[in-house]
Amino acid sequence: MCYSWFLSVPQRLLSFLLPLSLLSWVLLLLSALSHSGAGPWLGSWPEWSTQLTQGLFVLGIFLYYRYKASPLQGQAFVELLRRLVLVPGLLAVACVCLHLLERLAKNEPVFSNNGLFFTSIYTLNLGLFVIFLARTNYAWRALVLFRSTPRLQREWTIFEVLLGATLLLRLVGINPPTYVGIPLVAGLGLFGVYLSGHQKWVAYLSQRDKWRAVLYQAALLGGVLVFVQYFRITQVDPQLIAPQPQYAFLLLTAFFSAFYALMGLLVTFFNLPIADIIEQRRNEILRLQRLTQIIQRGQTTAEVYRILLESAVQTVQADAAWLDLDPSHTTPENVEPTLYFNLDPDKANALRARLKGHDLPEGEFITNDLNFRVGFEGVPQRFRSLLQLPLRGLHFNYGMLYLLKLEPHTFDREDLSILQTFTSQAVLSIENLELVSTSLENQRTQEELKISFQVQDSLIPKNLPTDNWFEISSHSLAAKEVGGDFYDFLHLPGRRLAVIIGDVSGKGVTAAFHMAQMKGIFHSLMQENPLAKNERDKFPVPSKFMAQANTALCHCLERSSFITSSLYIIDYEQGGFVFARAGHCHTLYYHALREEVFYFDSAGLGLGIIRNETYEKHIKNQFYDYSPGDVMVIYTDGIVEARGGSGTDEYGEDRLKLRLEESYFQDAEHIKNFILDDLNRFTHGFPIHDDQTLLVIKFKSAQPPPLA
Amino acid sequence: MKVTAQPSADTLTLQLDGELDASSAIVLDTELAKPDILNYRKVLIDCAKLSYISSAGLGVFISHLQRFQDANVKLVFFNMQEKVFNVFEILGLDALMTIVPSVAEAEAA
Repeated sequence: MCYSWFLSVPQRLLSFLLPLSLLSWVLLLLSALSHSGAGPWLGSWPEWSTQLTQGLFVLGIFLYYRYKASPLQGQAFVELLRRLVLVPGLLAVACVCLHLLERLAKNEPVFSNNGLFFTSIYTLNLGLFVIFLARTNYAWRALVLFRSTPRLQREWTIFEVLLGATLLLRLVGINPPTYVGIPLVAGLGLFGVYLSGHQKWVAYLSQRDKWRAVLYQAALLGGVLVFVQYFRITQVDPQLIAPQPQYAFLLLTAFFSAFYALMGLLVTFFNLPIADIIEQRRNEILRLQRLTQIIQRGQTTAEVYRILLESAVQTVQADAAWLDLDPSHTTPENVEPTLYFNLDPDKANALRARLKGHDLPEGEFITNDLNFRVGFEGVPQRFRSLLQLPLRGLHFNYGMLYLLKLEPHTFDREDLSILQTFTSQAVLSIENLELVSTSLENQRTQEELKISFQVQDSLIPKNLPTDNWFEISSHSLAAKEVGGDFYDFLHLPGRRLAVIIGDVSGKGVTAAFHMAQMKGIFHSLMQENPLAKNERDKFPVPSKFMAQANTALCHCLERSSFITSSLYIIDYEQGGFVFARAGHCHTLYYHALREEVFYFDSAGLGLGIIRNETYEKHIKNQFYDYSPGDVMVIYTDGIVEARGGSGTDEYGEDRLKLRLEESYFQDAEHIKNFILDDLNRFTHGFPIHDDQTLLVIKFKSAQPPPLA
Repeated sequence: MKVTAQPSADTLTLQLDGELDASSAIVLDTELAKPDILNYRKVLIDCAKLSYISSAGLGVFISHLQRFQDANVKLVFFNMQEKVFNVFEILGLDALMTIVPSVAEAEAA
């Protein structure tokens, strides 16, 4: 609370400091007039009035500039100097003009011995000088404290307080003896000299700014000299009875103003020769920043290489350069294998051949005089210095950067290290861009997988066949996005139904392709043959179907893949079915009359295992008569080989059989759910590692078709 | 999955240890794909320690079946666990490949 009140004081003071200063100045003028005898109408003012009004005026002006907003805006040093020269410079000119006017007037009889006129001019000039000093001092303060340490800030405050003290001592009339006063003033002067050493801001000037700064500072010094000269003359002028000025304070501030300007001028001036080096370093930083920003903006690889070459050339001021990219790692589109700067490819080829013949080291390398290198002397070379730098990635080099200069001995280790920063930044950008494109690629693959899933999903029959003599319920689940399990139905003429189930070895996209193929084979083979002699031969029997499918698959299935399948043709007219099992899981069956659950035990070889006509010998048809209430459970090995329990246990045929024994009396849908619930309990906590398909078919005694 | 090869005069015995699935199938495939394997008269596969075989594992044997037959090399499986035999049987491979209970019968086959 107290602290914030304390801080706000200067701001409140600021508003009435100027009127106060103006008032003191007017009083000073009156007092001076009174003492010089120019205004007898003023009466006789006391001796101390001049001291007091002058002191108050100086204090007011200095405090005003002390608490005004800092004259330094950001890093606009030259602007600060310009404003400083412009206003106090004009003041100095005004002062000189007044002085000349005064000189002229002295020779005019009208004005001669006119104390009123001279005293007024003098007091006005004093006022101008004080304003000039205050402005300059506080401009220097901003420069001294630019990027300063807290310690320096404390030192400045001490300097200010001591200067203020010299003013106040005079104000209260204490006049220290000479042997105290002189060392005190000298000490403060040295303090000012010490503070003048703080010229950090000079380093932030560009070359052009430095020249301007030198000029402005010289002009400022001129301004101080004009004032000092004026006061020196007026002090000895017998015509003037000048008021005793605040010598110590004004002397010190004038000295500090001039000395800081002088030091600044010298520092700037001697900085000029190295200004371009400083500028170069600044540019290097800027280029590095630009290179870094490219990463964030996600531009192309080609652009990164282009900017790398550009930045490298500008930084070391190379006369020519080229960048060889390793073609095996430059897969991205639109990237030239070589980039040239100010060099035709033939010359680069000549140099490249020499470098290759020379068996130079693979890494960084500088040759500072090509003329004196064995192998290079023969060719007329314009270039004398060469710098070679690889673009090192994490696992391999992306390419090699070559920089050339006409002059010998122009590359040094420092060039190399800044260029290394560039190349590593560039490699980082390129690797980043590659990462981005890889992840985009992954995303696309994911999208495509999603589409494959949709395509495959459309291959699985959604509308199960319905009739009043059977019920069907189905379930299928793929281990990955797409799988190799399939099943399908086809109504055949005469209340017959073909049911097929199959499993392609392997998983994922390859399996999904073969599954689609198998579906195609099923639909094309299950066509009515118009040439068939009798009704029975119109559609292939299951074993015939398998043999034909085997032949068809031989052409497209890779050698290590195979397909297991079972095909059932159920005939309601006959009350029976015929099926063939090509290596597929045994069919689980509930026989209602015998009240018995069993697996059909029949031989049959998978498709694609034998790829010739002998396959027919390995596949057989099996006929079976069913009765209403019988249940057929058809599934793939993903069900019986599902892992659970201790992790290596399989669900197994026995457990599946038990579940059917417990549920055969329910309808197909409930039997299926009963089995799946048990399966899920068994595999709980384990990932499914193979596609799962389960079909439950329950035969019913046919109900008469509903009356229309 | 570990495959140990034990060659003798005219017989090569391969001992399979572990689970033969898609990832381990490659090991076995490299072993069976060696050209000099066809110089033997018989290749015996010891399945005593084979605890599981996936369709990819079966695929390896299937893909080399024709090659072995053409070169007149006999492929005999023995000591097969019931669970693994079941897989061979379901697929119908028991009719196509020689699967015997013991090493003695395998050597006599």
